[in-house]
Amino acid sequence: MIAAPETGRAGPGLGDRTLDDQALRDQALGNLTLGSVYSDVEAYYSARVARHGATPRGVDWSCWATQNLRFVQLLKLCDFSGPFALNDMGCGYGALADYLAMRHATAAIDYLGIDLSQAMIRHARLRLSGPDRRFVVAASCPLVADYCVASGVMNVSLGHSREVWEQFVATILRDMRRNSRRGFSVNFKAAAGTTMGAADEPAEGLYRTTPQRWIEFCEAELGCSVETLDDYGMREFTLLVRCN
Amino acid sequence: MGSFVSDTTTSDILVRLNRRSDPDNLPEMIALQKEFKVFSEKHDLKQSLALLGIVPTDELERKRWYFFLDKLKTYKSDLPNVSGHDRAIKAVQKNLESKAPLPIAVICHLAAEDANVKVSQGRPQVFSSTDHLIISIPTTPRGQPKSRATKAKK
Repeated sequence: MIAAPETGRAGPGLGDRTLDDQALRDQALGNLTLGSVYSDVEAYYSARVARHGATPRGVDWSCWATQNLRFVQLLKLCDFSGPFALNDMGCGYGALADYLAMRHATAAIDYLGIDLSQAMIRHARLRLSGPDRRFVVAASCPLVADYCVASGVMNVSLGHSREVWEQFVATILRDMRRNSRRGFSVNFKAAAGTTMGAADEPAEGLYRTTPQRWIEFCEAELGCSVETLDDYGMREFTLLVRCN
Repeated sequence: MGSFVSDTTTSDILVRLNRRSDPDNLPEMIALQKEFKVFSEKHDLKQSLALLGIVPTDELERKRWYFFLDKLKTYKSDLPNVSGHDRAIKAVQKNLESKAPLPIAVICHLAAEDANVKVSQGRPQVFSSTDHLIISIPTTPRGQPKSRATKAKK
């Protein structure tokens, strides 16, 4: 099952970024082959937020501080000197929108949060909805933006085989590329044995990988240039992918 | 801890606290300090540890834990005119922002023997293989009379 897309509200100051019902449905249907993955992800995160509420634990992060340190890395892609549109894939309850309000309060950012989980989006809308802060239930980006970011979306593989999960990851990256004018950024858990990966950390249920695996994909298949961030103290890495 | 927070919560919190800044996880803590100044005079310990998610999950225990952290402001420390609360924050901040930060270990000692929050460097456990910054909190076991640590302000 793919969560039924919802229609977002076009508010003032959004330019031509308006949500279209049909586009949302078409994009969601295009991902039907990964239907069970989307269904599992939706169910998993809906259960998390039901249990832990709109908190870092509700999206499987250990705490506010590490969650925000990830946002710092992902947003290194963005040029804050001028206005821009930002898609937040797997936005959860809207923690990135909170972070933007805290750290970039004066920046003109047309923010769209996208998540499979209706429950997450409900929390996000209750807390944060506004003219330039919109949230939508969808499996893919319904609008083109200057940048797309995804934090933690690729990590919890929920028992799916590596092959299927990498198909899921590739689908998300293609979608982010298609809907990014300037670039997109994404983070991954580092594989054991890499400089960032812990040798003794259990990998069960988590997808871990090497930067090279997805750098090659982004360069060869998506035609982008990639910068890797792997020195921020965590057992993971962030790819800043610039559209050429 | 001790008389304020249950034994189970105390053990759980100490493990989580020490795990976050053990040798394996120290780089993450250094990065968090650099980016967000998690430990500084701008935040009290209650806020800093909440940002790190180091709080009891049980609501009542959480209240007791916060009460204890606030109570640390009335504890004395091994530095004159510095409360136990501020001593802990400043020691962690200075360590994390130093050129060669050490892993951090929080331990407890009997308040009846020494009512001060104490900071030192060394190996907190017999099995420890590296030096740590050690912060030791005076503790009174539940059911025993309060020590001078909590009477000091009266």
